[in-house]
Amino acid sequence: MLMPRKPPKGFRKPHHPDRSGASKGGNRVVFGEFGIQALEPAYVTNRQIESARIAMTRHIKRGGKVWITVFPDQALTKKPAETRMGSGKGSPEWWVANVKPGRVLFEMSFPNEQIAREAMRRAIHKLPMKCRIVTREVGES
Amino acid sequence: MSEVKISAEPRTEFGKGGARRTRRAGKVPAVLYGHGEKPKHIALPAREFAAAIRHGGANQLFTIEITDGTQALALPKAIQRDPIKDTFEHVDLLLVRRGEMVTVDVPVNLVGEAARDTLVVHESDTLSVNADATKLPESLEASIEGLEAGSQVTAADVTLPAGVELAADPGTIIALISAATVVEEATEAPEEEATEGEAAEAAEAAAETAQA
Repeated sequence: MLMPRKPPKGFRKPHHPDRSGASKGGNRVVFGEFGIQALEPAYVTNRQIESARIAMTRHIKRGGKVWITVFPDQALTKKPAETRMGSGKGSPEWWVANVKPGRVLFEMSFPNEQIAREAMRRAIHKLPMKCRIVTREVGES
Repeated sequence: MSEVKISAEPRTEFGKGGARRTRRAGKVPAVLYGHGEKPKHIALPAREFAAAIRHGGANQLFTIEITDGTQALALPKAIQRDPIKDTFEHVDLLLVRRGEMVTVDVPVNLVGEAARDTLVVHESDTLSVNADATKLPESLEASIEGLEAGSQVTAADVTLPAGVELAADPGTIIALISAATVVEEATEAPEEEATEGEAAEAAEAAAETAQA
């Protein structure tokens, strides 16, 4: 599952990342032919990314290529159950990618568009926000 | 590529407030510059501009008739679009003259079918060329017919129409033909296995993704 090799020193328990605004970059399909674009902000965990990737790759079986264009590099913490407030911040529980609307999360190259779209539809069901399938626009500046 | 006549009006208010008011009025804020002239801020009709770009591509040549009586020939240099709504937010237009050679990025389409059990990866979908501003090609074609795994299509393999010169490096890779790989799911490992700290598994997953 995707996660940083080593959390940066001094940033082991960061504050929750900002969820406002739209994605500034990574809004277009650049590697493959099709992509999954987020339409809502969300924290996407490494498990959700892996689950979506598996859903996609198992459907296409062979002859395709999948790119993951987000990385879960933000740690989210959680305090243990039935613990009183105080005594410091909880321990890191999840690794998430801070996804904002417009961000392309996955890209795919596959000869058959119908199968590719179905694979991406299955992958979207594993993600925690509304998404849509986008295609690469040739020659866009 | 044929020219498209489009009317425009000069913009008097600027900044995000003015730009948003312009967009709400069904117009696209734009700036017109080039040839050492002072930039002109104009507003283009959004529907007409979108239709022209949809049919003619990003290198559509425009004859802009500004309501102050001036006329200009221009090419879109940069187009900013909203990633969600897909509307045009702002356009940079570059003034050109008839017969002037300009450098533009032209879309490259791959034609034909590569050999069986191969995967075509479109590395670069545009190619930089020098051409007459009024005779820009809409698109270029590169053939991948029957290409085997391991072969590649470079800028030098693209057939250019008469009067068009290659501006990019001839070695620029346009497409790569690779062998279609089987997506391997070695074990049906439950996701619970992967707990915090299993960095090695993360590296494996990344490697698998690259192969898939």
